[in-house]
Amino acid sequence: MKALLSALALTTALTVPALAIAKPVILTTNMNRYGGDGVYLALYVTDGQGTYMGSLWMAGGKSKYYEHLSDWHRATAGNLAEINGITGASVGAGRQLKITLDLADALFDAGYELHIDAAVEDMRDSPSEVVVPLTTTGAGQPVGGRRYIRDFTYDM
Amino acid sequence: MKKYLIAATLLLGLGAAGAALADDDDCRVPMANWQPREAVQKMAEARGWTVRRIKTDDGCYEIKGRDATGREIEVKVDPATLAVVEFEYDDDDDDDDDDRDRNRNAAPTGTMKPPANGLFMPGSKPVIE
Repeated sequence: MKALLSALALTTALTVPALAIAKPVILTTNMNRYGGDGVYLALYVTDGQGTYMGSLWMAGGKSKYYEHLSDWHRATAGNLAEINGITGASVGAGRQLKITLDLADALFDAGYELHIDAAVEDMRDSPSEVVVPLTTTGAGQPVGGRRYIRDFTYDM
Repeated sequence: MKKYLIAATLLLGLGAAGAALADDDDCRVPMANWQPREAVQKMAEARGWTVRRIKTDDGCYEIKGRDATGREIEVKVDPATLAVVEFEYDDDDDDDDDDRDRNRNAAPTGTMKPPANGLFMPGSKPVIE
């Protein structure tokens, strides 16, 4: 029992400091006036090789459309547990999506990238429309999108 | 050999037609394998959902109610495994594109925990404007 407790104390001591370092990050996505229904957006993180690490937000409440967020869907097989608690509504054309998340500090300056897949009903799918490296120097600098996203910024 | 090929082609053709006709949202479970409604109710309650109505649709169970945060949901469930086939938040009415100023981003702001995927600070809650 004592051995178990000390092992627990040791592992807790090792993990907690790493987890405790976090910063509120504001993700701002401005949409173009593309003239269509609300856009579905999947915001997720990959490592430098493009391997999916996890999701940050899903804008769009109907799972039947998630396959159109094709890069996200390929990585997750559409598993709803990936976005449980981080699912909001789709974003209208010309509107803004602004989310504040407490993200692990270790995500920044470590080669990770934030991806945004976008899809609009009856319009072309736009996987990885935004791919931006997560760095402290990149914070506050707007990045343009290709089709539905006017620009995306992360601020810390 | 020829007979075998014809049979194989026929089978393939049938399979393709079946796939083309099948709707992704449908369930195909023999009645004998259906779990009772009470099991669906229990599954929903275990997830913290409030059930208003359980009906059958496209061969699936369909639950209407609210999730743990009070958002309107409509969920299709496999009648045998009770796995979620389709999930909808009913507050996301993206079927019209008019410009009425209503809160499109009705989200579980500060009420739900994010998934434990290592990206979020444990215990933190997303805030959306």
